[in-house]
Amino acid sequence: MMGDKLLFENVSKVYGEGDNKVIALDDICLNVRAGEFVAIVGPSGSGKSTFLSIAGALLSPSKGRLLLNGEDITTLSPKELTRVRLEKIGFVFQSSNLVPYLSVRDQLLLLSELIGKRDKTTVKKADELLSQLGLGHRAGHLPEALSGGERQRVAIARSLMNDPEIILADEPTASLDSKRGRDVVEMLAHEVKSRNKAAIMVTHDERMLDLCDRVVNITDGKVFG
Amino acid sequence: MMFLAIRELKHSKLRYLLIGLIMVLVALLVFIISGLANGLSSDNASSIQNMKADYFVMEHDSKNKLNRSIISMEKLDEIRAISDVKAAEGLGQMMITLNKIGSSEKTDVTIFATDASGILAPKVIEGKSYDNKKQGEVIADRSLKEVGYKLGDSLKDDLSGKVFTIVGFTEKQSYSHTPAVYMNVKGWQEINPGLKNQGKDSISTIAVQMDSKSEENVRESLPEGVTLISKEESLQSIPGFKEEQGTLTMMIAFLFVIAAFVLAVFFYVITLQKTNQFGVLKALGANTGYLAKSIVGQVMLLAVTCIAISVALTYGVTLIMPEGMPFELSADLVIKYSVLLLAVSVLGSLLSLYRVAKIDAIEAIGRVS
Repeated sequence: MMGDKLLFENVSKVYGEGDNKVIALDDICLNVRAGEFVAIVGPSGSGKSTFLSIAGALLSPSKGRLLLNGEDITTLSPKELTRVRLEKIGFVFQSSNLVPYLSVRDQLLLLSELIGKRDKTTVKKADELLSQLGLGHRAGHLPEALSGGERQRVAIARSLMNDPEIILADEPTASLDSKRGRDVVEMLAHEVKSRNKAAIMVTHDERMLDLCDRVVNITDGKVFG
Repeated sequence: MMFLAIRELKHSKLRYLLIGLIMVLVALLVFIISGLANGLSSDNASSIQNMKADYFVMEHDSKNKLNRSIISMEKLDEIRAISDVKAAEGLGQMMITLNKIGSSEKTDVTIFATDASGILAPKVIEGKSYDNKKQGEVIADRSLKEVGYKLGDSLKDDLSGKVFTIVGFTEKQSYSHTPAVYMNVKGWQEINPGLKNQGKDSISTIAVQMDSKSEENVRESLPEGVTLISKEESLQSIPGFKEEQGTLTMMIAFLFVIAAFVLAVFFYVITLQKTNQFGVLKALGANTGYLAKSIVGQVMLLAVTCIAISVALTYGVTLIMPEGMPFELSADLVIKYSVLLLAVSVLGSLLSLYRVAKIDAIEAIGRVS
């Protein structure tokens, strides 16, 4: 289907063998389109983390195919997957996971550095992103000087830095109070819409679901959309 | 590649300053001990080291010790006649105590006796050389001048009652930590208690110039009762030389091992501490190669800075060292040990690289840090 940014085709993930076999994901089919913000909810142990790891090219499925912007990434080597993560996927982790010794601006420039082109243009781009997310005055600060909400906003800016196809957020509000959590998700939703990106957010926070276009439920490795 | 390395060094200054301090001290110790080893080695053996000889012919039962070896002067011609021998010269040696006439001062010296115009005669830097015929003339190592001896001073050997006059000075001539004094063979034979009464024309050893390739040939052509040893072997038989150098070499070797381990443990612990962070970096798209280069970059930067500081400190220390301290450090040796220190530092970081390679990017997902 045209416009599909991310497509799960009958994806299964099985851990262990024989009696110890655990089916983490069972024959999942799901698509996320450009400009769409999808929430994944489900109880703990339901397979949310496995789902996100596979979507983020951190884990290979046992069966099925995963298409990112039309390209099958299940056949790629680990080295190529690293490249895919760098260029096509933006991550926002649970507690932001910023590098403690990098200034806010450098957190973003790290992505340009890793991709191999850090120059004046990327510095300008980083500063633009930061001011769009209301962090312009924080560009020179270290993460330790920021509030939890600001850190997550830096993480969102970082996830956008390399202009990815899709943004994956792993419980981005886990370490925030509900007011700040909502601000962060609102900002994420806004960036996804305005930049026409696709985004998946794993969350257990039901109060955020109204900000998402679609809510997908995972229970025992199966999807109920 | 140095993006992360430099920013982290700047951020965790105290941490890297402390490890840097240890590195500086270890490197400083390496340089000072090797300077001392070198200095002691030349203080102990510069006479032999600077001698224009490749091999020595020794009496068979002398256990390679110069002071035990006595060879008849007739053998010199036999040795010179061997086809692979380029040049050969007799050398007498003994250690005695000399009294400065007109003072109560006594000095232990090593007497070397050889032909004043032969290949073993030392270079005169002041005064003139001794006469082969005239008795009682000597040239002495410059270190005697530094303790107050002058040209024309007379020295008496108490055992034989002979008196010698310093007619010249030479340099870099010492043996078994005593200054060398050169004289003609006749004079040496007269003060040597073992030879004095025999009336035989003898010397201690015959120094030989030849290729190491022809060692076997020469050995087979040697006259009865003598043996051939290399210059290196003769150094090893100088009293205390082997023990002194062995101890210092072992200390230097241990310092290299310590340097490698200190850095290995330090960076390994830091890497363990940063496991989570490396997981996130890998998830974001950093490959192991990039992170490895970043760590090696940090180690190299730290090691190069520390080694440079130690080299500067070492030369600073030599300036305040007391006069007469046996300390010699050549630029060659400094470069060699610097490169070696850098190499063991990088070696020490390998453990961390292994650790980084094992970190899985998936650790970044589903975990609160």
